[in-house]
Amino acid sequence: MVRFKNRYVLCEVLSEDPRCRQCIEDRAVGLAVRDAIARAHGDYGLGCCCVSFTVKYLNAYTGTVLLRCRKDFQRLLSSALPLVRHLEGRGQRFPCALRTLHVGGTIRTCQKFLIQYNRRQLLLLLQNCTNEGEFLHIVNTVNCILESFYLMAFCALANNFPMCI
Amino acid sequence: MERTELPAAAYERRVLVSAAQHYYLRVRLELPDGAARPGAPQLKQLVVAALRELHGEVGAALPVDVLAYEEKTLCAILRVISSGLVKLWSALTLQGFYQNRRCAFRVLQTSPFLLALAGNSRELALD
Repeated sequence: MVRFKNRYVLCEVLSEDPRCRQCIEDRAVGLAVRDAIARAHGDYGLGCCCVSFTVKYLNAYTGTVLLRCRKDFQRLLSSALPLVRHLEGRGQRFPCALRTLHVGGTIRTCQKFLIQYNRRQLLLLLQNCTNEGEFLHIVNTVNCILESFYLMAFCALANNFPMCI
Repeated sequence: MERTELPAAAYERRVLVSAAQHYYLRVRLELPDGAARPGAPQLKQLVVAALRELHGEVGAALPVDVLAYEEKTLCAILRVISSGLVKLWSALTLQGFYQNRRCAFRVLQTSPFLLALAGNSRELALD
């Protein structure tokens, strides 16, 4: 069967500036990545990677970005991602970095990975909580999404958790 | 490829594909609009600029050397690492301007062996 194969690169936008969150838009991220590819790989690289290049999914709250490119040029794209240093939006520039989490062949595999990754991140967040108020806030916000099994696990953690006020 | 049925004094043939480390190109720069002739450093800068335009920073970092250059005939011998031959040749092909005047790179010979560039049957004068 002959079809165009794509690669989906799941990245996370890391930034020290909290105002960068509002600047994360699909157009801004797409332009930033395109500039980085043009600088790193020139006109040839830009032409290769931008044939089927889009930002498929973007979550400004967690900074998760899903990029798509052709399978043959995924290495060009991946090698240019560390060179993204600024995100520009609404006339402002924020320094940022893109960290690659996962490369998958379909959106579904990336979604499965993202769900597992977010679960692990939640656990880490709860462990790193220094404040009882923060802890309860996080537990309440995920209360509606988690299944009961996980809620029981979190309560077990809570019992062992040293509450410092 | 060794044939195991034959006795000890057998004929052995080894085939190496793309085993050369460097590739050598003999190129000539044509300046039809009469621009100032570049010296050797300017030629190297032109080649690196062509690579940077087409292949970016990664292309500009390709190890290219100008081994010989004649300013009178604008002929040069370039050496590039084997994996970068396609990038260099394509960059030279698409370089169209030198100091805002038209220019063209003509690749006369290319070989993985430098000695092979010494003889050129195309420039052979037959009496």
